[in-house]
Amino acid sequence: MTKPLLSAKNDIVLGRQIALAAAFLLPASKLLETPSILARYAGGDIILPALLHFLLQAGVLAIILFASSRSKKSLFERLERVLGKGVAILYILYAVYFVYAAILPLLDLEKFVYAAFFDTSPTTFTFVFFFPLCAFICVKGLKSLGRAADISLFLFLLPFLALIAMSFSETDFSHLLPLFGSKFGGTMSAFIKTTPHFSDAILLLPLIGNYRYEKRDGMKIMAGYGVGALLSLFFFAVFFGVYSSIAPREHYAFAKIAQYFPALSIIGRADLLFVYLLTVVLLIFTCMPLQYTTDLFCRACHIQKKVLPSAVLNLALFVFVFYCNKYYNSFYAVISGKLGFVFWIFADILPLFLLLLPKYSEDENETQRIPAPHKKEKRRA
Amino acid sequence: MSTLSKRILSSWKTQAVCVNTLSNDLQKNLSAVKKLLPSEDILSYQFQTADNVACAIVYADGIVNKQLIGDLVARPISRLALLENLPKNRENDGGMVELKLKLIKETVLFPEMKTMSSLEDIGKEVLDGNPLLLIDGVTKGLIVGAKFLPIRTIMEPPTDIAVKGPREGFIEDIKTNMALIRKRLKTPDLRFETIRLGKRSETMVSVCWLEGTSNPQVKNALAKKLQEIQIDCIPDSSYIAAFLAPRKHSIFHSLGKTEKPDIFAAKLCEGRVGILVDGSPIALTAPFLLTEDLQSSEDYFISPFMATIFRFLRFFALFVAVLLPAFYVSAQLFKIQLLPLGLTLTIASSVRELPLSPSLEMFVVLFLLEVLKEASIRMPKYVGMSLSVVGALVLGETAVSAGFLSTPAIIIVAFSGICLYTVPNFVETGSILRWLFLIIAGSIGPFGIVLLFTFVLYYLLSADSFGAPLLAPFSPLIPHDLRDTVVKYDLFSLKTRPKTLDSKNKTRLSLAKHQPKGEDEP
Repeated sequence: MTKPLLSAKNDIVLGRQIALAAAFLLPASKLLETPSILARYAGGDIILPALLHFLLQAGVLAIILFASSRSKKSLFERLERVLGKGVAILYILYAVYFVYAAILPLLDLEKFVYAAFFDTSPTTFTFVFFFPLCAFICVKGLKSLGRAADISLFLFLLPFLALIAMSFSETDFSHLLPLFGSKFGGTMSAFIKTTPHFSDAILLLPLIGNYRYEKRDGMKIMAGYGVGALLSLFFFAVFFGVYSSIAPREHYAFAKIAQYFPALSIIGRADLLFVYLLTVVLLIFTCMPLQYTTDLFCRACHIQKKVLPSAVLNLALFVFVFYCNKYYNSFYAVISGKLGFVFWIFADILPLFLLLLPKYSEDENETQRIPAPHKKEKRRA
Repeated sequence: MSTLSKRILSSWKTQAVCVNTLSNDLQKNLSAVKKLLPSEDILSYQFQTADNVACAIVYADGIVNKQLIGDLVARPISRLALLENLPKNRENDGGMVELKLKLIKETVLFPEMKTMSSLEDIGKEVLDGNPLLLIDGVTKGLIVGAKFLPIRTIMEPPTDIAVKGPREGFIEDIKTNMALIRKRLKTPDLRFETIRLGKRSETMVSVCWLEGTSNPQVKNALAKKLQEIQIDCIPDSSYIAAFLAPRKHSIFHSLGKTEKPDIFAAKLCEGRVGILVDGSPIALTAPFLLTEDLQSSEDYFISPFMATIFRFLRFFALFVAVLLPAFYVSAQLFKIQLLPLGLTLTIASSVRELPLSPSLEMFVVLFLLEVLKEASIRMPKYVGMSLSVVGALVLGETAVSAGFLSTPAIIIVAFSGICLYTVPNFVETGSILRWLFLIIAGSIGPFGIVLLFTFVLYYLLSADSFGAPLLAPFSPLIPHDLRDTVVKYDLFSLKTRPKTLDSKNKTRLSLAKHQPKGEDEP
């Protein structure tokens, strides 16, 4: 069995925080390039492939939660018992996967930043400043991520609702009709091409894997994921309602979806302030898989201080983004096309094996590495 | 015995290695005390009893009530025939000293008196302002509690002014401050535990809490950290705050600060632990939540609706103060769309012939504001008036007409400066953050602002103050505690203490169960 590395104190995550992460952190990435890709392939049926993805991911999440609910030990503790030292390989594999999963959101974020934050194209070095922030976040424990999920309730919901309200006057939902108007092939293409954007239930695994399931947490987390899915679907509907046939060309639409609000001609682009506030959530979301990578790598290699792995990871990503951002379309084509199966394997198939984990009910009186959070700790987590 | 008392004892024990005690010769005792306290402000006054027994009072000049000493100590003793009142046949008896002391005590009739023989302890008491009474032939000294420190009167603190509500403020004397708290909390649960800190200053630091209400873990953690403090002098509570801060180099404070006893008492009642420091009018409280800075004592004395409006006002003013100059610069340099067209044209016309770039211009104006602020605090009042004229008219008006600076930049900095003062406890932190945001906005525009904002947010997310998360109750989310944050619920909705503080006693308000609604009591 691997040595317990992470102190329970820094990694106490609550069911509520996982639910809030599912509801308000995960949808952030889907507001960028996803709507225009969905519209390109599915047209007016923009909601259908997204809905299919959400149902699939909800199933994966339900399996992870079910596996977690079967024992009083955390998923990772049980994994470590079953696989022994071999768990390090699994951790490394997932650490690499999370870097892989972070590439597209990272490139998306960079392009979005250039589009929404600048009137003219800035130098590539402008985005460099993201990496020190990411390195800082990666050093922090999962407890901080849980707290970030808590605050994302305010940071996501307020600007999201404001942007939707401002864009509502220009929305014509009749553009979504007739239902099932697009070809089945188009819908399926949209489904396949957007796999990297929707494979997000797995992003909750490190959080769920680190905490001990409590009664009714499954309902909370599933409800949280449902809320996130509904918010995303609603945004897609509004997006297509506003842009209709030109939707496929409207990249990073959430930065400009509210610009037709009449009052903005008098007060300036105040909607951008909401966009910027939402970007805070987007930044936290983009750092999330990289935080997992650092965390899992440190676990696997028994590294106590995360500073160096975090710095190396972010330096490598900086070099990658700096040199590869101009090949975004090629990367997107490869990652969502030929290498799309990676998402299916790591995000959808491998989690199924969690069901095979034994319960370990016979020695549950043993000292727990991750203790059930005391009522007091719940308030401080 | 409490940990603090143990600490006091142990520290004194270590110092008492070379303790000398008093002898029965007054002159020897006086010279020993003089040797221990050679400073010229330590005076002695010698007199005799009615039957010529020599006595002396040793005191620190300026911090003793001389009239009280004269009227209640020296005069009654000088009229006392000490030896005549003692049994003749027991003159060389060991119990004679005690008899003499008893007789003196009966004569003096002073409420605060204690006998001491250790020169070390006597020295501490004399330096603390309590005079020492020495009597020839007595191997012990009498410490008379006639301390009279020059203290200022209780007045409204300039940093915490309330239009409605109590106006008393703490002063520099810890005893007075303790009395002000005791006046508000007449309960045996109010506890003070005092320790002396500072090798040279021997400053009294008092930890106070409500037994059964505050979290004992917080009290113990504070006491433990206080014990670890090793410093020469503690001139103010900010020194203690620096030692207690979990993150030593943070720009955010991790302890609450107040100058008002009503706020302090209210915080103790919520379950916090307080610290009073002698010589400082600023009391500290722990745990500290960032939302406390948005609260004002007045919020609790006005309608909750108005309080909520004021709090929202402060909340937005805070963001405006920190972010407005940065957004103005980034809008000009990187994202002009942030400004409405009309304003863009106005700004364009006013900055057209400026020799400075927008970020440098803002930098200069902000620098001027900081200099003026600093100078106006330090300057004498009369000079301050002319300084305002020079600052506002000469620098502002003339710089604009000379084409060095633009009017919008001055307006924005002035507004930002005013906004920051809506949250007085956040001025220092806000000022630093404003500079940081300005620098990054001038470098990479609004994206820099968002990055820095996220960095600060994540930094605060992971920060705790004595077990309580700094951003609570927003993160971690504690819905119950949101009732007294930016939104202020009415008094009857705040029946229980904040959950964040983890108080043992949850209830702070009990309403009569069958109280008829809307009916006044006869």
